[in-house]
Amino acid sequence: MRQVFTILWDSYRLLAAKKLFWIALFLTVLIALMYASVGFTPEGISMLFGAYEIKNDIIVEGSMFADYFYMMIFTDYLVPWWLGLFALVLALISVCPVFPDFLKTGSIDIAISKPMSRVTLFLVKYLGSLFFVGIQVLVFCVIVFIAHKVRLDVWNFEIFWAVLLLTFVFSLIYSVAVLVAVLTKSTLFSLLVALLAWAVTLSMQWTESLMYKATYVLPAAGISIDVETGGTNISNQKLDANADMERFYDIVKKVCIPLPKTRDATYLLKKKVSVRGKDMTMMSAFLEDQPSAGELREAKAMEAYDNRHSIAYIVGSSLGFEVFILGIACWVFVRKDF
Amino acid sequence: MSDVVIAIADTSKKYRGGVEALRGVSLQVPSGGIFGLLGPNGAGKSTLVKILTSIVRPTHCVGTMLGAPIGHKPTLARIGYLPEHARFPEYLKGGEVIRYVAGLAGISHADAGKKADQLLEMVGMQDWGKHKMGTYSKGMKQRIGLAQALVNDPEIVFLDEPTDGVDPQGRLEMRHLLQRMRDEGRTVFINSHLLGELEMICDSVAIMDKGEIVEQGSIAQLTEKSRRYELTTRGPISEGLLGRLEEQGVKIRRGAGQDLMSVYGSDPKPIQPILDALRGESVTIVELRELRQSLEELFMESVGNGGVGGSQKGATPPELPRREALK
Repeated sequence: MRQVFTILWDSYRLLAAKKLFWIALFLTVLIALMYASVGFTPEGISMLFGAYEIKNDIIVEGSMFADYFYMMIFTDYLVPWWLGLFALVLALISVCPVFPDFLKTGSIDIAISKPMSRVTLFLVKYLGSLFFVGIQVLVFCVIVFIAHKVRLDVWNFEIFWAVLLLTFVFSLIYSVAVLVAVLTKSTLFSLLVALLAWAVTLSMQWTESLMYKATYVLPAAGISIDVETGGTNISNQKLDANADMERFYDIVKKVCIPLPKTRDATYLLKKKVSVRGKDMTMMSAFLEDQPSAGELREAKAMEAYDNRHSIAYIVGSSLGFEVFILGIACWVFVRKDF
Repeated sequence: MSDVVIAIADTSKKYRGGVEALRGVSLQVPSGGIFGLLGPNGAGKSTLVKILTSIVRPTHCVGTMLGAPIGHKPTLARIGYLPEHARFPEYLKGGEVIRYVAGLAGISHADAGKKADQLLEMVGMQDWGKHKMGTYSKGMKQRIGLAQALVNDPEIVFLDEPTDGVDPQGRLEMRHLLQRMRDEGRTVFINSHLLGELEMICDSVAIMDKGEIVEQGSIAQLTEKSRRYELTTRGPISEGLLGRLEEQGVKIRRGAGQDLMSVYGSDPKPIQPILDALRGESVTIVELRELRQSLEELFMESVGNGGVGGSQKGATPPELPRREALK
């Protein structure tokens, strides 16, 4: 246990010694404070701690829509875009040299010549590298958590699911970087391959997402697209999905199965956090009183879209990918002569 | 064989790509002394140390270290290691490096702190322990490297080229530290090219070439065959005496105005009748010296002087080796 703690503590010191870590943390805090500066008044939305006010009839202090709006900024914008993309890229750039540096002759020798299994050494070093994202997201979530108490008078502990989910997402990409690092000892190559793998998997997830929307969400909302003219037809009825589109979607979905679900795992947060007892995927619950049939149908279609993959599928298939990639990396690390 | 801390036989290592680093190495390292492993670049010294410290997996190895099979992880808690070209995290301070390595060795936080302070003082770095490694000179880094190798109070300390890049003052201090380790009862296993330094401190050595051990034993044992008495006389000795001496096995080289006679062996008795014979003919004896090969001569004899791959095992000693008086 002492050895595990030593490696983890060293990982923290390594991160703390990196300027990029502090720059990313500063930006994270800044963005979180910007978020916290948003509040609600009886007339609408206040920004920058009341410096500006946007009048709105629906999103007002104490309304369910204000609660939903505030959480939506967090789950649909800040988490996927800042924490789930930009901060993750910064983290990857920062953390990619960890394994190549560790594996250099003269550095790895000392660690390996200690009475500790190589598997433990490898896994703990890997986990330690995840601190970068874990710490950044934790700090962000603490500010958001306090903001929710101040703005909405709610201690919403579900916000902290973001720490787990984003660290998990980062670990999926980082596992690729580690495998390449173990094979090549090259920081640049591991970074490039990890970014490429991330881009490929994101593209596939976007394709799957768009395909699902085109195949199921639009017909469910009564919208059909004429592929020849490009025109859109809106119907008052729920339409059937196109069989050809369904077959094509099935192929795309199958291709996605073995890939890590970085995007989907990030959006899992919407299932884990709730506003007034309802999670963020339950769009129909956040409609105005007496919504129209069309609005309700559209909301239900979006609910189905948000819940099209089970948590077990997203986490399980991603975890399978990670275990497979890390397993190879660990096997190479254990058998390698340094 | 309780006096042997490392005993390996038939150790071989073939790297991917077919490079054969070790070819059936057998080695015994006695306990409680300084053991030097010598050899030209590429001889397989570092590979051998890395096999002993579990950094490299042998293709084949039979043997024990501290009574346990080679590769036995818990036994690594009883050894210390300073690799060649050791790299320590630049973001850590000297004291933190020692504590970090202590942590990897499983030493408690409190003990690691105390040990780090002691070791910093021992290697003369107590004033630098709170400075980052990035600010250290090569010699200072080596001192920290030596300190970290001792943090777990090891029974065997492996040092791979410990004085590489260290200035003469640092080397002298390093020698004192090594002698101190020996005095503390540790076995010190050094890989080095610096034969002069090893000769000053090593109790026993092994010489490697092309993945094989070509010589092994104490320096005294290895140089025994080269021990001799050399006698220099002024003026040429008579042909009659010359013939008699040569019949007795005395090697004589005639020079301008002086003769040089060599009598191989460490026993001074055979030299006495020669002295008597010379004195009997009133030959002036200029010098009488007891000599043996230096470690460098032994090394060159063992591996040849053709660099890597220039092995000439069993070659005869050079005609006129650099002589060194026995201390």
